[in-house]
Amino acid sequence: MNYINSILVLAGIYLVLSSSFDLIIGYGGLISIAHPIFYAIGAYTAGLLAIVWHVPAIPAILSGGVLAAVASVAMSLPAIRVAGDYLLIASIGFQLGLLQIIKNVEFTGGDAGLSDIPPAITGPSRAALFAAISLSLGVLVVLLIRWIVRGPYGAIITAMRDDELALLALGRNVTRIKVVILAVGSGLAGLAGGIYAFYYQYLSPSQFDVLQSAAILTMVVIGGMGTALGPVIGTFLLLGLPQAITFLQLPPSVMAPFQGILFCVLVLLFILVRPQGIIAARRPHT
Amino acid sequence: MMLPILAQIFWTGFANAAYYVLFTIAFALIVKVVQLWNFAQAGMMGIAFYTMYTVINFLEWPTWAAFLIGVAVTAAAGLLVEFYGLRTLRRRRSSNLMFFIFTLIFSELIAYVLMFLFGTEPVTLFPSILSPVRIIHGIAVTDWDLTAIAVTSVSLIALWLFLQFHREGQFLLAVADNGRLAELYGISAQRAYLVAFAIAAVFSCEGMYLFGTRAAVLPTTPNDLMLFAVIGTLLGGMGRLFAAAAAAVVLALVQSYSVLVIASKWQGLVLYGFLFVVIVLFPRGFRLPGFRARRAIPSPTPVQAKV
Repeated sequence: MNYINSILVLAGIYLVLSSSFDLIIGYGGLISIAHPIFYAIGAYTAGLLAIVWHVPAIPAILSGGVLAAVASVAMSLPAIRVAGDYLLIASIGFQLGLLQIIKNVEFTGGDAGLSDIPPAITGPSRAALFAAISLSLGVLVVLLIRWIVRGPYGAIITAMRDDELALLALGRNVTRIKVVILAVGSGLAGLAGGIYAFYYQYLSPSQFDVLQSAAILTMVVIGGMGTALGPVIGTFLLLGLPQAITFLQLPPSVMAPFQGILFCVLVLLFILVRPQGIIAARRPHT
Repeated sequence: MMLPILAQIFWTGFANAAYYVLFTIAFALIVKVVQLWNFAQAGMMGIAFYTMYTVINFLEWPTWAAFLIGVAVTAAAGLLVEFYGLRTLRRRRSSNLMFFIFTLIFSELIAYVLMFLFGTEPVTLFPSILSPVRIIHGIAVTDWDLTAIAVTSVSLIALWLFLQFHREGQFLLAVADNGRLAELYGISAQRAYLVAFAIAAVFSCEGMYLFGTRAAVLPTTPNDLMLFAVIGTLLGGMGRLFAAAAAAVVLALVQSYSVLVIASKWQGLVLYGFLFVVIVLFPRGFRLPGFRARRAIPSPTPVQAKV
C-alpha cells in the first residue's frame, strides 16, 4: 500500500510540475527548460527552513514557492527584455549554474544531498495523507491554470503566444506578462518541491538536472501542449510506463536509462507524427 | 615569481581552448547556415566520442581509423537529424518551440542510449591521458597542447578556404545570407544544410577526440561542453564564425585565469556568469570599438530556416 501511496504522491507532484510547465511553454509559448531548478529551489528552501529554523511544513512549503517565483523573475527579466529566444539560453545557464552552487555549498549537503528533513506528518497513515495532499494540490493547480487561461488574462496570454507584435501594438506590456507567467509557473513548481522534500525527507542535486527537464517536457508534449487535460494524461501515462516495464526485471543501472530512452523516443515520435499530443489544443501547435 | 605562473596558465588555457573553438565553430556554423539553435550537437558530440572510444578500446583499431569512423557515424547522425527531423518540422512550418524540443530531446535520447550501452563511469579515449612534456622558457608544453593547437589551426584555415574559395562553401554563405534569394539563383538550401551538418560533424569529432585524450567523458559531458559553444556563439555575434572562435578562446582563458581568484570547483560558474553578462550586455555579440566587418553579414535570428 505504501508503494501505491508513493506513486500517488509522485503523481500529484508531477501534475503540479507538468501543468505549471504547460502554462509557461504551452499557453505562454515561452521556451525555458529551467523548471526543475525552481522545483529544486522550493524543495531545498522548505527542507532547509525545516532543518535549520524548525519552520512548520506549510509555511516552509509556501516560502519555497515564493522563493522559486522570485528566482524566476531574476532569471527571466534580463533575458526577456532582450529577446524571447534568449530566455532559453538563460534558462539553461541558470539551471546548470544553480545546480553547481547546490552541489558545492555545504549547507545544502553538496553532492551527497540534504538529509534529515523532518517528516511533517508521522504515524501509519503518513503516506496516505501525503498522497491525498499531493493529489489535491495537483488537482487544484490544474483547476487554477484552467481558470487562468479561460479568463481574460488567459486570452491575453494566448494572444501573446500567437501574435506578440499585435499585442504590443495594442499597448500591452508583453515583458510583464511573460515574467508573471514564469513567476506563477515557477512558484507552483516550488510548492511541488516543498511537498517532495517533506515526503521523501532527502534531496539530491541529481534529481533536478536537465534530464528532469526532459521528463516534464515529455509529459506536456505527449499529453498535449496548451491544454488543461493534456499534462494530466501525460503525467499518468509517463508515471505508469515505468511500472509497466518492471516485468522486464532489469537492474536499476539499466532501468533508468531504459526509461529515459522510452520517454525520449515517445517525445520524438509525437513531435514528428502527432505534434498536438494526445489531447489537441483548440489552436493546434504545429 | 608570478609571471611564469601567469604564462603557464595562459598557455594551458590557450591549448584547452582548442576543443572549445572546434565545438563553437560547429555550433555557430549551424546557427549561421541553418539558422537553428542546434542543441542536437550535444548528441552528435556524444556519438563522436563513444564511436571513437569503441573503435579504439573494443575493436583495437588504430587511431586514424577510429577518427574516420567517428566522423562518418557523427555525420550520418547529423544528416539523419536534418533529413528526418528538421526537414519534417520545416515542411510543416513548425514553431521554434518544436525545433527546440526536437533538438534537445535528440541529445537527451543519445545521452540515455550511451548510458545504457556504456554505463555512467567516466572514460577516456586511451588508458592514459598523460602526454610528454617539454619545458620551454619555464613553461610546460605537452605534445597534446601542440597537437590540439595545430589541429584547430589547420581546421580553421581549411574552413576559411572552403567558405571563400570552394563552390559549396560559397553556397553555404549564400544560403546563410538569404536562403530564398539563394534558391532563386539555383542554390539548394537543403543541400547547404546537409553540408553544414557534415562540417559540424567533423569539427565535433575533432573536438571530442582532443577532449577525450585530455579528460574523462560521461554520457552527459557533451551537454556541458555545448553550453560553452552557445556562449561563444552569442559573444562572437550570430553569423560571425571566426569571431565566435575568438570568443571561445577568450572564454577559455578567463576560465583558466579564474583559478587565481576562485576555487577550481567554481570555475564552471564563471561560465554561467558570463552567459548572463553576454545576454544582457552583448545580445548581438561583442564588437571591438571601430571594428567594421569587411562584408555586412546580417545577424540571423536563430530560429528554423524558413526556406
